[in-house]
Amino acid sequence: MSTAREQIFSSVRAALAPLPERTARPIFSKDVAEPHWLATEADSVTLFQKRAEATGTKCFTDLESCAAWLRSQGVRTVYIPAPLTRLAALCAEFCEVTSEYTRTRVNEIDAAFTPSAGAIAESGSIILSDESTPDRLAALAPWHHIALVSRAEIHRTIADALAAMPNDPNLIWVTGPSKTADVEGILIQGVHGPGAQACLIL
Amino acid sequence: MAEQKVELFARRLDRGVQQAVHSNSAAGTEKRYSILGKDYSAPDDLRRLAGQIRQHSIEHLDTYLEQAEQSLKRQGAHVHYAVTADDACRAVSDILQKAGAKKVVKSKSMISEEIHLNDHLGSMDIESVETDLGEYIIQIDGDHPSHIVKPIIHKNRRDIAKSFEREGLGDYNDDPETITRRARVFMRDKYLQADAGITGANFVSAESGRLVLVTNEGNSRFCLAAPKIHIALVGIEKVIPSDAELTVLLNLLGRSATGQQLTVYTEFINGPARTDRPSGPQEMHVIFVDNQRSQILASDCREILRCIRCGACLNVCPVYRQASGHAYRSVYPGPVGAVLSPLLAGKNFKELADLPKASSLCGACNEVCPVDIPIPDLLLKLRNRGHEEHAPSPGTPPMGAFAKLASSPMLWRFTMKSNKVMNLVPLEKLPLPYLQPWLKTRTLPEWRGGEFRSWMKDRRKK
Repeated sequence: MSTAREQIFSSVRAALAPLPERTARPIFSKDVAEPHWLATEADSVTLFQKRAEATGTKCFTDLESCAAWLRSQGVRTVYIPAPLTRLAALCAEFCEVTSEYTRTRVNEIDAAFTPSAGAIAESGSIILSDESTPDRLAALAPWHHIALVSRAEIHRTIADALAAMPNDPNLIWVTGPSKTADVEGILIQGVHGPGAQACLIL
Repeated sequence: MAEQKVELFARRLDRGVQQAVHSNSAAGTEKRYSILGKDYSAPDDLRRLAGQIRQHSIEHLDTYLEQAEQSLKRQGAHVHYAVTADDACRAVSDILQKAGAKKVVKSKSMISEEIHLNDHLGSMDIESVETDLGEYIIQIDGDHPSHIVKPIIHKNRRDIAKSFEREGLGDYNDDPETITRRARVFMRDKYLQADAGITGANFVSAESGRLVLVTNEGNSRFCLAAPKIHIALVGIEKVIPSDAELTVLLNLLGRSATGQQLTVYTEFINGPARTDRPSGPQEMHVIFVDNQRSQILASDCREILRCIRCGACLNVCPVYRQASGHAYRSVYPGPVGAVLSPLLAGKNFKELADLPKASSLCGACNEVCPVDIPIPDLLLKLRNRGHEEHAPSPGTPPMGAFAKLASSPMLWRFTMKSNKVMNLVPLEKLPLPYLQPWLKTRTLPEWRGGEFRSWMKDRRKK
């Protein structure tokens, strides 16, 4: 008796064998799916900010204003990975700061900073990877997530970002806060992931 | 019975549901149209390119599927194959049982609906929770999705509030924000307690072995953050040549499905998480499911395998808007479902052979399709197949008499002239059941048969 694999491959081959010719692989330029407005846009950092804000991601360029925002949001516990001491000091003025993300505290930690693997200007997306993010849950479970984006790592286009994907078990492009429109088509933010998505551009 | 099944369903459909489906679908079409027009000067060229990419992919499935398997294995994923829906269900439960997994969280996957995975897992005493908000509501209601992208398009907030109250998720409250927050709290524990996460896949890149998943809620991300085992159910047709093709496909998928440039979460999975990581599955299984796909590939309707499940053809379809998803009696509704569902039914084709007839062949589905599937052509091919296989055809008038008439010039000439008598007949009194539903809302113009022929004849004489 043949295995499922053999069965499937033999039916696929049998299905394709009678084709007189097969569609060739289309050749296209890398920029084929770029929106036409992209060419006239400013530098990638400015463009990223504009696009990110348009999808609902708040952008900060200095630690102080980012900390002030978290304070105004009434954040109680913030996760900040170890090396970010200045940020931790700023946040310690108004809330508890922890450098450890543990499962038992998933529902208590209501804000988290995590480093990113870059960003995409065209779509305003933040790129997270296992390599850059200490814990997948930390970037997902808190209501507020702030990704640290380095200016030098902002790709201009989606095609650039695809071409430069690092070898990582899990890459995720985050384009705005978690959202749903399942109930009567009404947009609600913060379904499972962050209801407030932000980034700190450094 | 003188009505098509889809038509009958539409007529009996609750007015509120019908309006919800209509307005939500129309809004989807509007959003898609607006973003494509804003961003591209020639979106149709892009759709055609995407169509070629997908057509190329399925016509080289033998090569790409094998390559995808090798790439996935290279990254440490286990690859399985399932010929039938039952095989696929068993493959999932075998993996779970071997690992001693009792609790599973699932992100939205059409193929899991197709194989009725939740029923199977339930029968094996494995708890499987749908985590997409819409799919969760479908699950607790024992209902079926009525749209590929918006599964509960047919429900209103009051229905949902009642279901949540019944399930013990709080007192009756029909505020959409409250409903969403309650689901958030409920799901948290489910994610954290789950042994395994089950997902589908939007694309699999043969070259890199990357599995691409798109969601807006972030539920698939959660399914791949908390549990230790990841099982991906993937239709064999989801394979594409390489990551480069994603530029075209991702840009069209979000815009076509929900009017977004990209969905909120676009996830690229490249094998299990490293063992020193605090979160992420350290065991990854990919199950490639055939379930009739290789048979569809062998048929003259193989173009339907290009489909990337965006739902744009549902939104735009005048029949879907009137009839809603459940009218199609299958997992895939709307124009894509009218083609795919009878084909996926395999030897039960005849049971769904009426679906290709539930279309006016207006062609809107083809015009919005991000991969340019010639749906109207495929509908015609399936109508023909239904005829050849003598599938029952309620609500469709027999065309045998007309065929005889139209193939004899003499008979045709005679009928054209003599039918002037029709002008004197009260049409609503004709004993033709097929005509009655039409005549309820329409009248025929005055019969002028034969005039063109006389005109031609006179013209030649001059």
